[in-house]
Amino acid sequence: MIDGIPGGVALFDYDNDGYLDIFFANGASLPDLGKNSAKFSNRLYCNNHDGTFTDVTARAGLRGEGYSIGAAAADYDNDGFVDLYVTGFDRNSLYHNNGDGTFTDVTAKAGVPGVSDRGKKLWGISAAWLDYDNDGKLDLFVTNYLDWSFATSRVCGPPGKRLSCSPTLYKGEPNILYHNNGDGTFTDVSEATGIAGEIGKGMGVAIADYNDDGWMDIFVANDNDRNFLFRNREGKAFDEAGVEAFVAYTDNGVPVSSMGVDFRDWNNDGRPSLLITALGGETYPLFRNEGKGFFNYESYKAGIGFRSFKMSGWGAGIQDFDNDGYKDLFTANSHVSENADLDGQQHYRQANAVFRNMHDGTFQDVSAEAGSGMQIRAAHRGCAFGDLNNDGQIDVVVSAIGSPAELLYNTSPGGNHWILIRTIGTRSNRDGIGTRIRITSESGRLQYNHVTTAGSYASSNDPRVHFGLGADTLIREIELKWPSGRVQVLHNVKADQLLTVTEELK
Amino acid sequence: MRAVALSLLFLASTAPLAPADACIGAEGQLAQLSRAVTVSSLDTAGNILRSLRLSHPDCLELLLHEARIAEAKGSITQAAELYYHYTDAAPNDSRGLAYFGRFFLNQHDYMRADALSAAALGKNPSDPAALTLRGQILVMKGQSSEGQALLEKAVALDPDDPEAHFQLGTIYDKAKAAPRAVEHFRKAVGLNPSDARAWDYLALNLEPVGDLDGADQAYRKGLQINQPGRFHDAFLDYNYGRFLAKRNDLVASKRHLDRAVESTPQIRAVWYERARLEMRMQAYPQARADAQKAAACSQQGGTIDLQIYSLLSQVYARLGDTALAQKYADLTRKTPPPVRGEQR
Repeated sequence: MIDGIPGGVALFDYDNDGYLDIFFANGASLPDLGKNSAKFSNRLYCNNHDGTFTDVTARAGLRGEGYSIGAAAADYDNDGFVDLYVTGFDRNSLYHNNGDGTFTDVTAKAGVPGVSDRGKKLWGISAAWLDYDNDGKLDLFVTNYLDWSFATSRVCGPPGKRLSCSPTLYKGEPNILYHNNGDGTFTDVSEATGIAGEIGKGMGVAIADYNDDGWMDIFVANDNDRNFLFRNREGKAFDEAGVEAFVAYTDNGVPVSSMGVDFRDWNNDGRPSLLITALGGETYPLFRNEGKGFFNYESYKAGIGFRSFKMSGWGAGIQDFDNDGYKDLFTANSHVSENADLDGQQHYRQANAVFRNMHDGTFQDVSAEAGSGMQIRAAHRGCAFGDLNNDGQIDVVVSAIGSPAELLYNTSPGGNHWILIRTIGTRSNRDGIGTRIRITSESGRLQYNHVTTAGSYASSNDPRVHFGLGADTLIREIELKWPSGRVQVLHNVKADQLLTVTEELK
Repeated sequence: MRAVALSLLFLASTAPLAPADACIGAEGQLAQLSRAVTVSSLDTAGNILRSLRLSHPDCLELLLHEARIAEAKGSITQAAELYYHYTDAAPNDSRGLAYFGRFFLNQHDYMRADALSAAALGKNPSDPAALTLRGQILVMKGQSSEGQALLEKAVALDPDDPEAHFQLGTIYDKAKAAPRAVEHFRKAVGLNPSDARAWDYLALNLEPVGDLDGADQAYRKGLQINQPGRFHDAFLDYNYGRFLAKRNDLVASKRHLDRAVESTPQIRAVWYERARLEMRMQAYPQARADAQKAAACSQQGGTIDLQIYSLLSQVYARLGDTALAQKYADLTRKTPPPVRGEQR
């Protein structure tokens, strides 16, 4: 079960030089779970601003310990330097950014070890930073997968044709929510907020304010179990509303092998919707948020149903790759079983996929025309989205098991315009995570997005919020709704810039 | 088994028949006759049979095909008598035993079909008809790999047997090996274009391989030739309706699901599927009615309670009935999802 799961990627600017750096979470030797070889080390690559990167893992102190899986980056202590949380099978670690290119493991001091209240280390997969109670401090949500161990591990498939065991053979585990106390420590509030009461098989996690009430909600993709939509009850607790919102299952009333997820508005109606990856034969669920607390399953209506039927996916993103003002879809693909090809219909190594938004609620699979980088067949897992070279186009970094990671620089032609917004909170958390942004561009087109690093699978994205503007060179209005409740409006902002917006104090 | 033996014993004392050498010179026509019956070209078969009766009146094999024709025409009693008569006269003819076994299988008399298929294969382990029937029965008994081996052997010995290809195709279909299934269903419909079941399966397996236009054509072809009888497919409208919904042709989908509901109202899946479609069409009162009918159906047809609860929760939420929506949401939560295979 364990060896097909790793591959988290984090894009964050650890040295505040204005360029995204790259972190990869790696596994360990089995069964001792030791990082006893350089190949098992987690890796931090510093962006040299010229298309190359330097491995700074050792200096940064991010080699890691144990069987690492995912990563989530954010400035949890509001000191202006991005910190890093690494999930894993046997160990979760919080690394505090010292501001000098090094990190300190503060897991124990901070109290975020990923252990249940009964003292069991849970199998952490993904993590999300969010300020669920809007108190100006980032809290931490961790998804946990299965109650699995080497002792209870099953062997599946006939001899010589071993396949990955279904998660239905194992019990699920509760997720964890840590509340940030503001003094470098956290309190496990999973029970108090109702999070621990829901046992799932958590994989990806994404956050968004899906009901526009000013409180960030949490979506958890569960593998072969009903998905969770934790509706935020004004920062006090969460109600699990996946069934009521129609996102627990597909429209056929059954679960899929939900892996990765992104939670953003792809049809410019102001409501964040969901893209989930799953295994071959299931199709990737696409849930459109139609308001009033309901979502509509639209994989086939949107044209990705048949196309994704043969795909198996992990990382997922809703991003505007061609800067036309409509967000597209990206999935990092691979089957879970190394021997999947014995099936004839399935493939372990798969090419990633990109679906272009056709502006009418449908998407078109343009992977074949998206360049040679998109044709690489590999055991892709996590992927993270961000603008690596600050050219206004969203790039993708994809991890792969048993083969090199892929840096997919976006070279989309067309000359469309764009803006990349960095938020700095003052009353809100410093990263501005949770800030909802609406822009009205020159042509009158409205677009919506929000600040988050969560989403995809076990990965962490560029915190800057990207908008493609098409032919528009001017943005008439940018409205930012900060987690503090403050609403800030900017007028007549020029396109094609990295814009930093600091939360107004009054 | 006992009933078969007694019947054979009874028939053995009634009708002396002509030896097999009475068929010499008729081999070609007999082959044509056999194939015509196989593909349900009963007019052609009848013409050949009449001709052979004149030219080879003592040819015993004519009796076997007469039985098959009677069966294909739905004259079950007459067919049974003819089969008994033939197998009594030619007790060592594996093909006769196999056809008789298939007759019982078609009558859902599985014990006799099982016994006769084993007897047929015992008489001649290389008889394609015996291999096909025995293979099918072993699969039905859960001995899939043994059954598959016999079917593979059958198609190797007689690549023109549409039934063997059909049965092999269903094995690959069940294993979700769509490309292999497509191969065999294509052969099956090529050899027997009147087999609506094979067109349906072909279409179902063309969907996952991505040949959507091919699937559409196969569904249409199946519906065009779908007639009562051995090759009838009761779920063609249901499957085509589902396919059309995925292709976003909701109006045409509704037409076929309406027909599916009319033809198989006892099956939960058809009501459920139409209710799902009505949800998409925002026809919520109709969706509620169909979902409730689905809930009341005794034959699930592959649709489980969880799906019904989930659907009803959505229907009532759309209708604004929050109490019932919550009731079914709670049931959805309490109902565990289906346990799939151990591996994936």
